[in-house]
Amino acid sequence: MSSILHMSFLDPMLIEKVGRKTAKLALFIWAVCGMLTVQANSHELSLSDEQQIDDIVVTGKVTDENGEGLPGATVKVKNTSLGTITDIEGNFSLEVPKDAVLVFSFVGYMSQEVVLNGQSVINASLSTDLTSLEEVVVIGYGKTKTKDLTGAVSIVDPDDLGQQPVSNIGDAIQGRAAGVSVTTSGQPGNNPTFRIRGTGTINNNDPFIVVDGMPLNGGLNQINMSDIESVQVLKDASATAIYGARGANGVVLITTKRGMRGEASVTFDAYTGITEATNTLDVLNAKEFAQLSNEMLTNGGLDPNPDFADPESLGNGTDWLGAFFDRGKVNSYTLSYSNGNDKSNVYTSLNYFDQEGIILNTGYKRYNLQFNTDTEITRNVKFGNSLKLNHDIKEQGEFNIQNAILSLPTQPIRREDGGFSGAIGQPLYSGDVDNPIGKATIVDMSTRGYNAQGSLFGEITFLKYLTFKSIGGVEANIWKNRTWTPSYEWDSDISQNAYLYEAANQSITLLWDNTLTYQQSLDNGLNLTALIGSSAQQNDFEFISGSIQDFQSEETQTLNNGIAQMNLDGSGSEWALFSYFVRFNLDFESKYYLTGTVRRDGSSRFGEGNRYGTFPSGSVAWRVSQEDFFDVGFIEDLKIRGGYGITGNQEIGNYSFASSYNTYLYNFNNTFVSAVVPTVLPNTNVRWESQEQINVGLDLTMFKGRVSATIDGYVKNTKDMLVPQSVPVTSGYSDIYVPSINAGQMRNKGIETVINTVNIEHEKLIWTSDIVFSFNHNEVIDINSETPLTRGGIGLNYNLARIQPGYPVNVFYGFVTDGIFQTDEGVQQSAVQIPGSSSATSTSAGDIRFQDLNNDGIINDNDRTFLGNPNPDFIYSLNNTLTYGNFSLNIFLQGVQGRDIFNANRIYTEGMAITTNQNASVLDRWMGPGTSNTMPRAIYGDPNNNARPSNRYIEDGSYLRVKNITLAYNIPAKLIGRGSFGGAKVYLSGQNLFTFTNYSGLDPEVGVDGIDNNLYPVTRTVSIGLNVKF
Amino acid sequence: MKLLRNIYLSMAVLFCAACSEDYLEKAPLDTINTGNYPTNESELVSLVNGAYQPLQWPKLYNLRMWTTDIMAGNSIVGAGGGTDGIETQDLSNFVTTSDNAGVLDLWRGPWPGILRANIALEVAPELSIDQEIKDRSMGEAYFLRAHYYFILVRFFGDVPLIVEPQSADDDLYPARDSEELVWAQIISDLELAVDLLPEKNTYSAGDLGRASKGSALGMLAKVHLTLGNWQQVVDLTSEIEGLGYDLNENYADNFNPAAENSVESLFEVQYASNGGYGFWGNENQAAWTSAFMGPRGSNFVAGAYGWNQPTEEFVNSYEEDDLRKDATILYEQGPQFDGKSYDAAYSLTGYNVRKFLVPLAVSASYDNSPLNFPILRFSDILLMKAEALNELGQTSEAETPLNRVRDRAGLEDIATGLSKEGFREAVLHERRMELAFEGQRWFDLIRVGDGAYALAFLHSIGKTNATTNHLLLPIPQKEIDTNPKLSQNTGY
Repeated sequence: MSSILHMSFLDPMLIEKVGRKTAKLALFIWAVCGMLTVQANSHELSLSDEQQIDDIVVTGKVTDENGEGLPGATVKVKNTSLGTITDIEGNFSLEVPKDAVLVFSFVGYMSQEVVLNGQSVINASLSTDLTSLEEVVVIGYGKTKTKDLTGAVSIVDPDDLGQQPVSNIGDAIQGRAAGVSVTTSGQPGNNPTFRIRGTGTINNNDPFIVVDGMPLNGGLNQINMSDIESVQVLKDASATAIYGARGANGVVLITTKRGMRGEASVTFDAYTGITEATNTLDVLNAKEFAQLSNEMLTNGGLDPNPDFADPESLGNGTDWLGAFFDRGKVNSYTLSYSNGNDKSNVYTSLNYFDQEGIILNTGYKRYNLQFNTDTEITRNVKFGNSLKLNHDIKEQGEFNIQNAILSLPTQPIRREDGGFSGAIGQPLYSGDVDNPIGKATIVDMSTRGYNAQGSLFGEITFLKYLTFKSIGGVEANIWKNRTWTPSYEWDSDISQNAYLYEAANQSITLLWDNTLTYQQSLDNGLNLTALIGSSAQQNDFEFISGSIQDFQSEETQTLNNGIAQMNLDGSGSEWALFSYFVRFNLDFESKYYLTGTVRRDGSSRFGEGNRYGTFPSGSVAWRVSQEDFFDVGFIEDLKIRGGYGITGNQEIGNYSFASSYNTYLYNFNNTFVSAVVPTVLPNTNVRWESQEQINVGLDLTMFKGRVSATIDGYVKNTKDMLVPQSVPVTSGYSDIYVPSINAGQMRNKGIETVINTVNIEHEKLIWTSDIVFSFNHNEVIDINSETPLTRGGIGLNYNLARIQPGYPVNVFYGFVTDGIFQTDEGVQQSAVQIPGSSSATSTSAGDIRFQDLNNDGIINDNDRTFLGNPNPDFIYSLNNTLTYGNFSLNIFLQGVQGRDIFNANRIYTEGMAITTNQNASVLDRWMGPGTSNTMPRAIYGDPNNNARPSNRYIEDGSYLRVKNITLAYNIPAKLIGRGSFGGAKVYLSGQNLFTFTNYSGLDPEVGVDGIDNNLYPVTRTVSIGLNVKF
Repeated sequence: MKLLRNIYLSMAVLFCAACSEDYLEKAPLDTINTGNYPTNESELVSLVNGAYQPLQWPKLYNLRMWTTDIMAGNSIVGAGGGTDGIETQDLSNFVTTSDNAGVLDLWRGPWPGILRANIALEVAPELSIDQEIKDRSMGEAYFLRAHYYFILVRFFGDVPLIVEPQSADDDLYPARDSEELVWAQIISDLELAVDLLPEKNTYSAGDLGRASKGSALGMLAKVHLTLGNWQQVVDLTSEIEGLGYDLNENYADNFNPAAENSVESLFEVQYASNGGYGFWGNENQAAWTSAFMGPRGSNFVAGAYGWNQPTEEFVNSYEEDDLRKDATILYEQGPQFDGKSYDAAYSLTGYNVRKFLVPLAVSASYDNSPLNFPILRFSDILLMKAEALNELGQTSEAETPLNRVRDRAGLEDIATGLSKEGFREAVLHERRMELAFEGQRWFDLIRVGDGAYALAFLHSIGKTNATTNHLLLPIPQKEIDTNPKLSQNTGY
């Protein structure tokens, strides 16, 4: 973009060209401005006449309910731009017309209007706004008030989140916003997964995240939670259409803190905590394992391990899981500074975050810097900046939870010489599992991130009602991956050469947005806001990597020190997006609202014939409670909303439209030559996935603000979903990379409810509750093929999930079990599974009976069916905050209901097919008629394929969690005395304290696809923290 | 107002600053635009090199082609138990279903090679470049296309015959063409390749390994052998004998990474060390054979996944003093490998394949074996000639080429005066031992006597599930689902 910037200002030809091209646009702006100017001028004239004649000076103090002065509160003369802000003590002084109406307002408090009537001293006491109706909400390219919203927007105030010891805001807002499902990962440094109003596509479902006006290209871990002022989630199309081709998955808008007018303050925020697994797994001890091994081999017609002749003598053996999982710890320190006066303000902070995972050698460290300023050059000209710098290090060994379960309790972790152990002897007996402690210890895998996101904006207000804003920004994301494996010799497990892999990724994003906003409140009660804007964004990505083996000294872990198997790789890509957008909001007496948005996106990712897409939306709202006929005493506010719009998803890959050859290798006589090959059949018509959404909502406040509720219902139809085109391999094109065509459809519909109540509001005791319920139903409508798509592959023959029309996305698919064959007669009377005469090689008593669903007498792939749904029926949460004097207690419960999990770990840990250790649940295995009807016999090789994907592994993944309990004590400034001390808070916080679930795995929070295969579990954290203000 | 106008003008400029058309023109940075390629000799050669590459894939010679010896009863899967190698297990037990992963690979392997050859054959005639390079490139493309179809037609019978590159506008859903049409195309392609390709000895060291006239003649001979056109086999093999090929003195040198593309080699899949790319992907340059066939738990070679364990019956089929046994098989009293002694416990049968193992000094890691995989060796040519002469009734003339192979193996000449049937059996036995684990046995079994020979043999070694239907593989169900015009083979 820099070249364009450069050109546009310096090249007269271009200015002329551009001028011609945009004549229409300029004319339009001109006309609108001109019209408004006329109207505005007449209005202004009459007002300033009065002003000059009857001005008096009014002074006073603005206080909160407790009589404490409110610094930085706004005092304005109604319907004018006259106004001031209060000083540190809450005092103000303002020259105003004699009969003016003063409006006192402060964020988080109810506004108050006072008619002057000639008084010269006015004191105002503002009460806390429990309903937040006046709260300012960031919407795309602008702001509005909660009460004026016409679309479905969830607002999360970080102050309400309790004190959660998590690294990013995504983890913290889990469960807080209706319709927003967040799945966290237990692994330190991982970013959470969002699903806004269900899974909208089989492709990229990540919402568009915008931080301080700039799309966030990196992850949420780039942002320090303590820096965040507010989070808004735009959910329906009328709210997201302003983001056009990037709005379909919902939009998360994050705003960081800016300097507050008033006294300079320094805040220090620190916490420290310990982490541990939320659940433990039981595995067999050495004696039990030896018994299993003997039984398994004997059943398989093989000789049992002679070393296990006397299982009793083996005792408990090695506790691999105990060595693998350990307590971790977490520490976070934030130091921030905030200051401001009428002309400028500044907010800056520094954060250090350090988390040690619960799995051996996993951890995450992060350094963040935030720097925000705003400066008013003149009353009409402002500029400001937002800057985020981040460096983080995610470290891990080569950890494998399954291997920690499968490792033999009869094998020590280390041999007597101190080296790690490997399998010894026949693979038949030794299990052949890589030493999981060894791998986690010696392998060093790390990702180092260097991220900077900065933007500068300028804003000019002119002709009273017009504001022109231009924002330019850069985001640089550089991340480096490194894997180091030293050479090792663990008995039979030998890696002769040390290995080093290093990779560098560099992604540079440039943004330039311009908006012109017209805002006017007319005397007749009509408020009009109109916005027109353009946005240009581009990204360049580069990747290089190298690996090498065989190091002369393993101390020198750099690429120049290896000698064997050198390997280089690299790639690059770029994309650009250019868009126009228009929005208008009309509001008549805060009673009738009308909003319309259109965005036109041009994207380099779309094929030439489809380069531009247009995304319109419209919404209306009606504040019924404002009508004269409305006469329900206990309802203060009732608003009905409705909206419809079309948005897009442009995450379709950068070059799907292009026809190209890749360069690979071949060799002749060990001399490498380049091999140029076609890969994917191009789809020149590829374009965005579009989604139409209809939303109907209701906002309600009643019982003097004690109860407020928001209910939204929606239907979301994804059309043009990119689905794999079924190109037969006979065409010669890749069977791995198939082209995609815009031919799929998916539907989500749901209802979301938020209820906020003030249960007790006593002088000292306040108890508030927030209840959030979100129902979503997903259905795949069309995938342009008779053949379902398979997902969830976990090995050669295991695809666990399907995408098939008529079913929710990613439903589990497999065989249905029907108990265990208790006798061989039972086997003969049932459908044929694996025929044969020997119980060692064919279906026999003790094996699982699978249902012959098509009744053809044979159990084969045609007997599979739908087994479960990983998409929850609903998600919910309950937040309770109790404040008593200076104590506050926050209890947050969060839950997921009606979701199935495919516990794929058990395919391996309850398979009883090879001589590796198993879950303790196999103690209940079948050992003769009547011994078990659920856990089959142990048999080497599993001839009946008891382990095949079946409902045996489907578990109820519903859970209810005590997500967070925070007990805090506020030390008031008064208590310590004067001086610079400005108050403090100490707190005790427990994250993921208790989990109520029937799920047998480590943790039921297993990712959107519901497949638990070697996943790092979510952890429990108990922490204490301190927040001091000076 | 002048100020205002300036403001409006600069705003208009700002709004539209980026709306130049080429702002949104982004072509791939790391791939080649098909529109302007190829233009010269080396670009055409690179396209043709691409047509060789599928040979290397695990879908073909890196895994699935040699696992057909397991199906043919020379060996068992071995491997790690559980589901490791289950698809090969099913194939070798003749309980194959249409979702077999190995069959899917064999179906999917050849087609990209056919497309690449088709592209080369389409673009080459248009290029004004050196005629010698053009002829050679086209000859290679004809040879490779024929070879890929030769693989398909023997496994699946009727297959779609596609001889032009397909684009998005073409009918991508062809039906199966008759086997006869496919055979005719293979023969015609190979005959063109014979005319266009240079002789092996004209290749420089860096081109050695490309298809040559000898490769095309040998492949054509094998096609005719498969079809029973004995006279053509005799003619073609005789022509090859005049091109300077010979047997390596030492049988094991055919599997020696230091002696590749030897005088005995007519065509082999090229593998090399240090070629980069992921081992498990299609683009890897290293051979899977050593890592896969290494005795499990032995440390003989890097990897050592224990696949392809020879059966007792196979090992006992060696004649006494056959030098090839020690070169081919690892057994408990056999010679050491790389200074290490073999333990029968490494294998379920007590045997492992030796001929494809490379010592740690050559490949220290599982993903770096440079060992080529033989497709056509001169001993094969000799045995083809012997077989064809015998079928033509010239049994005594047939003894010469057969004895040449036996002689190198340290065996005595074949007994003279054998009947035609007896001699046929002797040649087939010789082929089994000489070409063991090279992916030849299955094709030899099914071509003789229209499958009767295969069934008789398979039943004799206990594979009683095998029926005539199993002599062709099923068309993978996935492919039928994608293209319903593909019919299924009988019995699946």
